[in-house]
Amino acid sequence: MRTHLPVWTATVVAALLSMPATYALLRAYEVVFKSEPNPARVVWSPHIGMFWRLGVAGYVAGMVGALAYLAARRDLPRTIQVLCTSVLVVGAMIGVQGLLMP
Amino acid sequence: MTTLLLRVLERVHGHLGWLSVAALLHPAILLRNPKRRARLSVALATGFVVVTALFGGYIYPAYRDRIKQHLFIEVPRVGWMFERKEHLAVGAVVFALVGCIAHLSVPLAADEDVKRTLARLAHRAFVVAFALALIVALLGVTVASCRSF
Repeated sequence: MRTHLPVWTATVVAALLSMPATYALLRAYEVVFKSEPNPARVVWSPHIGMFWRLGVAGYVAGMVGALAYLAARRDLPRTIQVLCTSVLVVGAMIGVQGLLMP
Repeated sequence: MTTLLLRVLERVHGHLGWLSVAALLHPAILLRNPKRRARLSVALATGFVVVTALFGGYIYPAYRDRIKQHLFIEVPRVGWMFERKEHLAVGAVVFALVGCIAHLSVPLAADEDVKRTLARLAHRAFVVAFALALIVALLGVTVASCRSF
């Protein structure tokens, strides 16, 4: 059991990292390709964009987690290495999207 | 939800946010050394961030109903600041969780290479979480000083 725990760590970390990546991509897509109403003219809307994006990101995280589990079982050191690099990539993605494409 | 309760929750959220920034700085500095263990610091910092996010998520629908439109009518620049804040906050929470899980898993790995990489991953995650949380806190203060419940 103990030897399997790092595999699960890689799975959960990969799933978590996919969430801000998905969130940033979804929001960037909305900003670049979709026209949104001016927030000053919207009195109320049942659609809460942030919660919707988090829901989609959670769904994607489930799929990424399954793939990461398979990858980690096959080659754990390499999977962790990829995740270590992904931290910087995903950090840059959410940072750039958050600051430049609100 | 009454306005008084929202005001209290908003202020608690803001204060916890700055405490989270301070708490995240600790592991971001400590974990530069991959052999260093700081379970309590990591757990507390992540706990602060998660609780702050829960407060924020709880009052967010009320912000949309009562403040968002007025903010965009009166000071659109500050309205967009809040939008930036919510996006970056998502990142701060996730990176704090990633850092916490990675750091707590280091002793469970048998391979020295995996241990070292996990430790580096945890450090990077806390540095990113700290940077994002600091920007979020600064934006939050700017928005709150302009308009609040």
